[in-house]
Amino acid sequence: MDNQPVVKRESKKKIRVEFERTSLKERLKTKYLSAFFLKNTLWFIFRLLLLIGIAFVVIQPFITMIIRSVMAPQDFADDSVMQVPRNLSMVIYKGVIQDLSYFEFFAETFMFSLVCALLQTFACCLIGYGLAKFKFRGSKIVFLAVILTLVIPHGTLQTALFVHFRYFDVLGIFSFLSGNTGIGWIDNIMGILPKEPFTGGGFSLLGTWWPLILMSATGLAFKNGLYIFMLRQFFRGVPDELEESAYLDGAGTFRTFVQVILPLSIPMMITVFLFAFCWQWTDDFYVPLFFDTLKTAERPALMYYITDTTKINSSLIFTAAKEIATAKGEGGFSVAIKYCCGLMACTPLVILYLFCQRYLVQGIERSGIVG
Amino acid sequence: MTEQVNMTQAPAQRVKKRKIASLDRRKARSGWFFVLPFVIGFIVLYIPILFESIKSSFYIYKLGENTKEFVGWTNYSIALFEEADFVQTLLTGLGEMAFNIPVILIFSLFVAVILNQKMIGRAVFRAIFFLPVVVSTGMMESLMNSSYAAGGEHLDTGAAESATEAVASSMAVEQLLTSVFEGLGFGVGLVEYIVSAVESISSIINRSGVQILIFLASLQSISPAIYESCQIDGATSWETFWKITFPMVSPMILVNGIYTIIDNFTTDSNSVMQEINRVYGSSAMGESTGQNVSSAMGWMYFAVVILVVGLLAAIMSAYVFYQRRD
Repeated sequence: MDNQPVVKRESKKKIRVEFERTSLKERLKTKYLSAFFLKNTLWFIFRLLLLIGIAFVVIQPFITMIIRSVMAPQDFADDSVMQVPRNLSMVIYKGVIQDLSYFEFFAETFMFSLVCALLQTFACCLIGYGLAKFKFRGSKIVFLAVILTLVIPHGTLQTALFVHFRYFDVLGIFSFLSGNTGIGWIDNIMGILPKEPFTGGGFSLLGTWWPLILMSATGLAFKNGLYIFMLRQFFRGVPDELEESAYLDGAGTFRTFVQVILPLSIPMMITVFLFAFCWQWTDDFYVPLFFDTLKTAERPALMYYITDTTKINSSLIFTAAKEIATAKGEGGFSVAIKYCCGLMACTPLVILYLFCQRYLVQGIERSGIVG
Repeated sequence: MTEQVNMTQAPAQRVKKRKIASLDRRKARSGWFFVLPFVIGFIVLYIPILFESIKSSFYIYKLGENTKEFVGWTNYSIALFEEADFVQTLLTGLGEMAFNIPVILIFSLFVAVILNQKMIGRAVFRAIFFLPVVVSTGMMESLMNSSYAAGGEHLDTGAAESATEAVASSMAVEQLLTSVFEGLGFGVGLVEYIVSAVESISSIINRSGVQILIFLASLQSISPAIYESCQIDGATSWETFWKITFPMVSPMILVNGIYTIIDNFTTDSNSVMQEINRVYGSSAMGESTGQNVSSAMGWMYFAVVILVVGLLAAIMSAYVFYQRRD
């Protein structure tokens, strides 16, 4: 045997063990020239390349948008400039902020999305908790109703939504009270339209924030069924013992909910809030539907002033910049303006997302949909 | 031999059915309290809208003239028989769906498995892959995919298309892929399927964010002890994947499949939804106006969606492996 250790006694309390170690070369050879190591390295490289490739596909539009939006106008007329700008200029950003009144829009959209998202989060938490933990007779039916709201495409309900909020009337009470219709209010129950439509009572809620606020507070807004479903699965995973101990201490059900269950479910709530906020911010169905009467420029949706070409055309900064771009580069410059608008509209979302994204996987994982 | 006492019957006959304890009943009542916002909203807002929508598909409204006449199935027959586009678009939509769903599921499972492994920059990649869900919407998609072709030769594709589509749909790549797969002995149909999947990789990546997340969460709930014991027994990673990982995420495949179908069907960039929106905007269509026909089309589309989802759920539930927690 080669590697017999040799034990020497140096002094009374100290011994020294010498043994022959395999040489450095052999050690390195067995570690790094093995098939195992090679396979792992190849897999590492392959995986990294694959992920970088896919990430590139995702990120690349944004990179192009950023680059195009900081190109100086004269570069659009210049044929030799392809992707890398020769001159940088922030003129587009200046134009968007000043002439298109970015910050006012931003504030309005932000408030609107915030209010709607908060309402949706709380409403969906309440409803999800009720469906998860309480066995009352109609719970299955209510759950089916929730799934139904998720499955029906909102396009089919377009006209009906519009008409319903145009002549908003809760179970015919308002027209009954105001005596505004020739038909008795029995006919107005369940929204059965009276024989003469559009002379019915009620008042118009279009053009205000109310339709979406009402829908958010009742858990009927865009994809709220999904949130309710996720939250229900999550609350099911919370052990019953927690609630029971709270009941023993004398708390009612609502107080238990607020003080015991909600602090546990903060990752999930952040996930739902993030989704709700982002989908409300980028909403392109409900906002045009309900704010149809307002001009594009007055809607609380930042995304819409991208398409407001009148404002772009009337902006002084942009016309001056277009002069520099000359006719040849004008098309590219207009597209760059759109890119910049899109970027400015999406950046708040990206920032919010970066703050919240570590809660996302955590939230879904603990939601009990999985496992 | 002792007589077998029939234990199943005796208890039920002995004990009368007890009323629910009052705590239970109180709890059940407060359940209604929690669900109240939804119930109120559903009854006051949603059911009338549903009702009106179904009813209005049987009527012809002319908004300008404020009239309403009952025409029965006319709207439906216009949509099905007289308008040539709808059935066509429906079939195209179903075809698109049948194509996209497997690709999205396979791709997102693959990416989730990769992202589950420990590596540097894992959090960064996860953040990037989930970004399209948060940011992408109709407007951004049109912005990213618009091909600007008005003058200016060097800017002739939109942001997303310029790099990936230019490469992916170039003839060389197509030929390369086709030759590789044909060399492997696949049939022509499968080869075409794979090639067209690779070409549309950009849209697939952008649409699989949520699925990747769900698969990832499900993969993380598989305990590493199982993998360790497999490794001890000498299983290769291929075998481990097919025997362990795949069955354990199969409930999620069902959930994701249903979610993807519903998402595809209700998103506005679906071809059928675009058709419905287009019809909504058009004014006169046969005897009735565009709005009525579009609502009839919407309901038929919804019936088809329900059918497809139900079918898929029924088929896949038979194959799903549920881990019994004893």
